[in-house]
Amino acid sequence: MASAAGIGRRPYEGRWDGLWLLGPLLLFLALLLGFPAVANLVYSLSEVRFTGLWSPRWVGLDNYATVLADPAFWGAVGFSARFAVVVTVAQLLLGFALVLALDPLIAKRRWLMAFLLLPMMVSPALLGVMYRLMLNDFVGVIPQYLQLVGFSGNLLDADWAFTTVAVIEVLQWTPFAVLALLTAYQAIPGELVEAARIDGAGSWSVFRRITLPLMVPALAITGFIRFIDSFRVFDHIYVLTGGGPGTLTQSLSIYIYRTFFQQERIGPAVAASMLLLLASIVVLRLLMAQMLRGSRG
Amino acid sequence: MTNILRKTLLAGLALPLLSSAAMAGEVTLLFWPGPESEAMQKVLDAYNAGPGKTDGITVKQLLFSRQGYFEKEQADLAAGSSEFDLALVTTYTLGRYAPYLDPIDAQVPAEVKAAFAPVSLQSLTLDGKLYGVPTDISVHFLYYRKDLVDRLLSDTEWQKRYAAIAKEKLGREMQPKAPDDWSWDDWIAAALFFSAADNPDSPTRFGTVLQMKNLIFNIMLWQATLVSNGGDWLADGRPAIDGPAARTGLQVYKTLIDAKATPPGSISYEYPEANAAFQAGQAATMLQWNAAFNELNDPAKSPTVAGKIGLAPLPAGSAGHKSHVHSLGIGLNTASKNKADAGKVVAWLATKDAMTVYAQAGGTPPVPEILKSMAAARPEFPLVGDFVDRYGFVVTGGTAAYAVPVYEVLAEKFSAFWAGQIDLDTALKQAAEGMAERIKG
Amino acid sequence: MTRLVAGLRWVVFLLAVLILNIPVIVTLLTSLKTTLDINAYPPVWLFAPTLEHYGTVLTDPALDFPRYLMNSTVIALGGTVLALGLGVPAAYAMAKLGKGTTTILPVVTNLRALPLVIFAIPFYLLYQALGLLDTRLGLALISCIINLPLALILLVGFLQDLPQEIEEAARVDGASTFAVLRHIVLPLARPVLVAVAILSFIYSWNEFLFGLILSTRNAVPVTVGATFFITSWGVKWGATAAAMMLSVLPPLLLGLVSYRYLGRAMLAGAVKG
Repeated sequence: MASAAGIGRRPYEGRWDGLWLLGPLLLFLALLLGFPAVANLVYSLSEVRFTGLWSPRWVGLDNYATVLADPAFWGAVGFSARFAVVVTVAQLLLGFALVLALDPLIAKRRWLMAFLLLPMMVSPALLGVMYRLMLNDFVGVIPQYLQLVGFSGNLLDADWAFTTVAVIEVLQWTPFAVLALLTAYQAIPGELVEAARIDGAGSWSVFRRITLPLMVPALAITGFIRFIDSFRVFDHIYVLTGGGPGTLTQSLSIYIYRTFFQQERIGPAVAASMLLLLASIVVLRLLMAQMLRGSRG
Repeated sequence: MTNILRKTLLAGLALPLLSSAAMAGEVTLLFWPGPESEAMQKVLDAYNAGPGKTDGITVKQLLFSRQGYFEKEQADLAAGSSEFDLALVTTYTLGRYAPYLDPIDAQVPAEVKAAFAPVSLQSLTLDGKLYGVPTDISVHFLYYRKDLVDRLLSDTEWQKRYAAIAKEKLGREMQPKAPDDWSWDDWIAAALFFSAADNPDSPTRFGTVLQMKNLIFNIMLWQATLVSNGGDWLADGRPAIDGPAARTGLQVYKTLIDAKATPPGSISYEYPEANAAFQAGQAATMLQWNAAFNELNDPAKSPTVAGKIGLAPLPAGSAGHKSHVHSLGIGLNTASKNKADAGKVVAWLATKDAMTVYAQAGGTPPVPEILKSMAAARPEFPLVGDFVDRYGFVVTGGTAAYAVPVYEVLAEKFSAFWAGQIDLDTALKQAAEGMAERIKG
Repeated sequence: MTRLVAGLRWVVFLLAVLILNIPVIVTLLTSLKTTLDINAYPPVWLFAPTLEHYGTVLTDPALDFPRYLMNSTVIALGGTVLALGLGVPAAYAMAKLGKGTTTILPVVTNLRALPLVIFAIPFYLLYQALGLLDTRLGLALISCIINLPLALILLVGFLQDLPQEIEEAARVDGASTFAVLRHIVLPLARPVLVAVAILSFIYSWNEFLFGLILSTRNAVPVTVGATFFITSWGVKWGATAAAMMLSVLPPLLLGLVSYRYLGRAMLAGAVKG
């Protein structure tokens, strides 16, 4: 039950609770993000060059029009969307399966988690560089093993590039799903499961009627976070394929990066980001209600 | 208590001011890590111990990561950073950085310029002004397996096979020639001959290894096919990238990948991957940058192919042999707080003394005299000097501000064509349109 | 039957660790191979190991790798502490007092959807004016911003599930919000605090773009420093692999230590029953 900010305090709330709880965060955001946010808004509505970063020239919505009319923009959006959906679903399924299978083991020896989390601790940019070595047709280990099982295609060509970059992402970030889902899973009250078992419920029944419903919020939140993150994917794809072959693996972030730095069209690049922000705001509005409701009531 | 806090705050604020104030006599050179910077360090050591002592100047290197180097340099220069006085400049980014650099014609007078290969100076010149001392030149070679090609030229069985394959795939009977005389068709025929897909008896799996990743450097390598057939980026100031020369050039690569004369992974290859293929003895020929020779000819690093490598100019088109060249150079930051000293360093860097130290430390300076004199230690040097002089070109617009954006659009469209994503006409049309947009800016 | 199941769980665990960590394992092996072995065709699995690459990374005169590790550690720790310090009270306000859920939370969450590259230049200009360029403090502040959205989402999600009764009981006894936060909520939230801390540290540790653009020589993080061996003419694979392995150690140690701490807290019955 959310009450709007500032209206209707509960009886035991301190007068200044809202202030000291939220204040520091707000101050921090205002101070640090204020200028960049304004700058970006201005840039998105201007023509601005690197030689004149402090003197943008107003062009109104021209940049937005340019971006919306650019097929490369829509291609990048399409790629990012497909990529995000595929990897998020894969990570949720794999992550959940691992949680169910490994929880009793990890509950007793928590430090084992660190090894499951290890894949995340490598910088994606460096990971991309190492994958260049591993996927090398001649000296790389992955093609060597694939040839053993009869696979002789090239993992970075037009047919396989998407799969390859998706698999790399799933391998690196499934541990995130494991971590988040495990935290939620271990918070499920033991008595509920006990009570159900005493009533004679089998494992599947317990799963379907207790575990799953209680895990839905965590699945939603984890899925949401991973979706946003994979939509923004940049580092390992940029290093491995450069967005290629052609623009086959050009994610929206790569499109924006290239437009910004290589083509030096700052205005359109920022405009594209603003469009992304707009889309995110809309989607989030729809999801927020679902996410915040959680398991209460 | 408050007093101490206030003093600390003031001290804290003052520190950035102190450290950014240029120490008189200290010059910072911005560079990227790698063999070039290792070689440059020796040059700077020589300066600091010699002329530097006399002038009271010390030069230090500041290294920015090669990953994202240009983006970082762009951000720093655009914001007017004075963290470095001298900076690395390249041919293709010259136009982009020229607004932040001072021309160095004053520090590098005509008689000093005379020692450099003319095209190398041209590659760092914009609007008639020189913006950098060329310290490294890059040019392309046709690398080939001497042992295999020699056999081809003397073995009649092989020659019959060669003629048969040429007839079948290229429509006419051809006889093998020495690589120095190859036209693009000769090269394609040789590549087909040396591919297991077209010739079961081939000693190598692939006839060549191409670099077709969506990367601007691969376009620099490819554009010899354009220019050697009479083409250029612009004709009369308008994009000519959709002309017949470009069409021919693009088809050379496409023919090879369709015939499996180059590894299928070539569409994502760049410099190291191509080297790996050649180094492993899997490719008989390779179009590649001159920098690869040193490593490929080293028996400790490339036991399979060392000592068996021949170098030829890139195959000839209707306009003869041509090769793209570009230079790495040292430019002068307009925002530098120590320009007088930095200028002296630049002036010295352009001298033969400096360039000799650089060459001996592993660099490839475009000074023909030095290159010729080091043939014993670096056998490819005389060829570098020779090819740069005779075949080197800088495309029209290659140093302009729109150079990288244009390279980017060409890389995107052409790599898409080679990967089979779009057809030739679409690729050329979109490339020309993209180019026009970028030039308009 | 239970023994068999327990054994199977171990098998699943080991398989998962092995498969998920393939890149790390291959990198480890690469870091121990000589350059000749790395370039061997076909690739070799049995080889005489060497520590030369680690030596190169740690002793190269143009590179100050230990400093980069220190920089990254300070930056990541600073960013994490700051994100928690700002985020926990805010999350409590949002989850329990219902303040800011319709305004601040969406704004901060939407931040996460934006590609960071567009902030590179504005932050550069801002930091240049404030003198925060090339400082660990500056990068720690960026870390915090990067981690706030995730921290808030996870914390709000967790806190809103905490049952009200314990809190209400304390309130009835006259405890202030601050006391409730400190003595009741924080201990109960330990699992999610650890998760958020680990994730924040990891995300900060892995940040490349801002580490590149906003540092020059003093505050260079290890993500940028490790690319030192990527040159125009190829990558020095052995040294890069060694640099990568060294840079994985601090987060790994943090993970191990955090989980031991968490383990003890759990056993002490801090979990709500």
